[in-house]
Amino acid sequence: MQSPVKQWRNQKYSRQLLGKNGRIVSFSKIYIPPAGYEDQAPYYIAVIDMGTHRVMGQLVDEYESAVKIGARVQAVIRRVRFVREDDVIPYGIKFKVTSDR
Amino acid sequence: MTVSILGVATTQFGELWDTSPRALVKGVVDEALIDSRLQLKNIDALYVGNMLSGILGGQENLGAFFASALGLVCPAFKVEGACASGGLAFYNGALGVRSGEFTNVLVLGVEKMTDHKPEEVALGLMGAGSDEERLAGATFPGLYALMAQAHMREFKTTEEEMSAVAVKNHYHASLNGKAHFRNPITLKQALTSPMIASPLKLFDCSPVSDGAAAVVISSDASRVKKPVVIKGAGVASDSLGLAQRNTLTSLQAAVDAAQKAYKQAQVAPCDIDVAEVHDCFTIAEIMAMEDLGFLAKGEAGQAIFAGKTTLGKSQKLVVNTSGGLKACGHPVGATGVKQIAEVVTQLRGKSEKKQVAGAKIGLTHNVGGTGAVAVVHIFARE
Repeated sequence: MQSPVKQWRNQKYSRQLLGKNGRIVSFSKIYIPPAGYEDQAPYYIAVIDMGTHRVMGQLVDEYESAVKIGARVQAVIRRVRFVREDDVIPYGIKFKVTSDR
Repeated sequence: MTVSILGVATTQFGELWDTSPRALVKGVVDEALIDSRLQLKNIDALYVGNMLSGILGGQENLGAFFASALGLVCPAFKVEGACASGGLAFYNGALGVRSGEFTNVLVLGVEKMTDHKPEEVALGLMGAGSDEERLAGATFPGLYALMAQAHMREFKTTEEEMSAVAVKNHYHASLNGKAHFRNPITLKQALTSPMIASPLKLFDCSPVSDGAAAVVISSDASRVKKPVVIKGAGVASDSLGLAQRNTLTSLQAAVDAAQKAYKQAQVAPCDIDVAEVHDCFTIAEIMAMEDLGFLAKGEAGQAIFAGKTTLGKSQKLVVNTSGGLKACGHPVGATGVKQIAEVVTQLRGKSEKKQVAGAKIGLTHNVGGTGAVAVVHIFARE
């Protein structure tokens, strides 16, 4: 279980990114996930250029054909991964593809 | 001060369910000591390379753990740098000798991975990445897949060329009795294997393995004729997270570590006869060949595909005679030490079926994380 204190401390980074736009620099579709992500696989991860810096993120609500290098994405809030009933639900930034150009 | 390698040994690599880490280590240390003609009482310090004993097995304090298991009473250290832990343990052990503090040092690399289920191992390995990468649900195959995707786009590297790395390394491993996978594979088998993290398929990935390797080093080589010595060493680090790098198609830490090692050894990439490079994924060997200066940027895929680094086909440099991480196996803490054991055995001319004829200068390249740390060593026989 991740520490609730760590989650609380990291929330400010989510706030800085939320709603911002970026472009996909590189992507991969993950078929074999790490523990906690089993229910989401397969899913895409991407390196995203936010203009001032690059970040790593998971893509959500994506259309397969729209995932390409150069596609525009927007930072949204989502549940990060599966947790047990007695854990704090971790929310964080994921990226939604908004345009394939 | 010259540091000589007096003894080397490697255990069988593979799924060793009936063997404990202690048993693995005892066996391999006995073998390395016999090779070095030293006894346990002659060892002045122990350096252990390991990454996952804490997160998977709940056991830390590995310096004391293995010293007591071996019956050694001396300073003992654990060195951790993800998949470069073994190479870093060796680097630090050699520093201990060069400083004059220790005469004889035992360097050990060990990892026990197959006791745990794949999702747990994948999560444990992600301890080498950044928080941002863990939150994104990234895995190590996924991170290297991001590099592969970029390399394919920038240099027209193909999936066939990546598969050719696996075919070569399985062939080399078929000549290595201690390798995890001793079965040769075909290009078609590699290309049609299940997708793990696109574009990387099962045969693009090194396996989860158990294994250990040990090396005895010393400033006193008076009892050995023509020992293999360390000619150059370099370590460098980079951003922990992959996204924070300037490029996805080269590991700057590997470039920097190699330059330091070449400069210290006063040799050039074209002088190297045999190299063990960190092929945790097939794209990693392609990038390693370019980062180490063996081939120009963007040309490694084609060269490997053409067999230019394969035993029996190469004109000069042969790469990953052990089978590499891909086919010899990748018990992460053991890998860096095993690479050194392999190159030293080659330079001694004792590699039997996989011997590179006339090998005089060898190189090892060990990478941690997605290139957050790299360590390069160059060896020659005096």
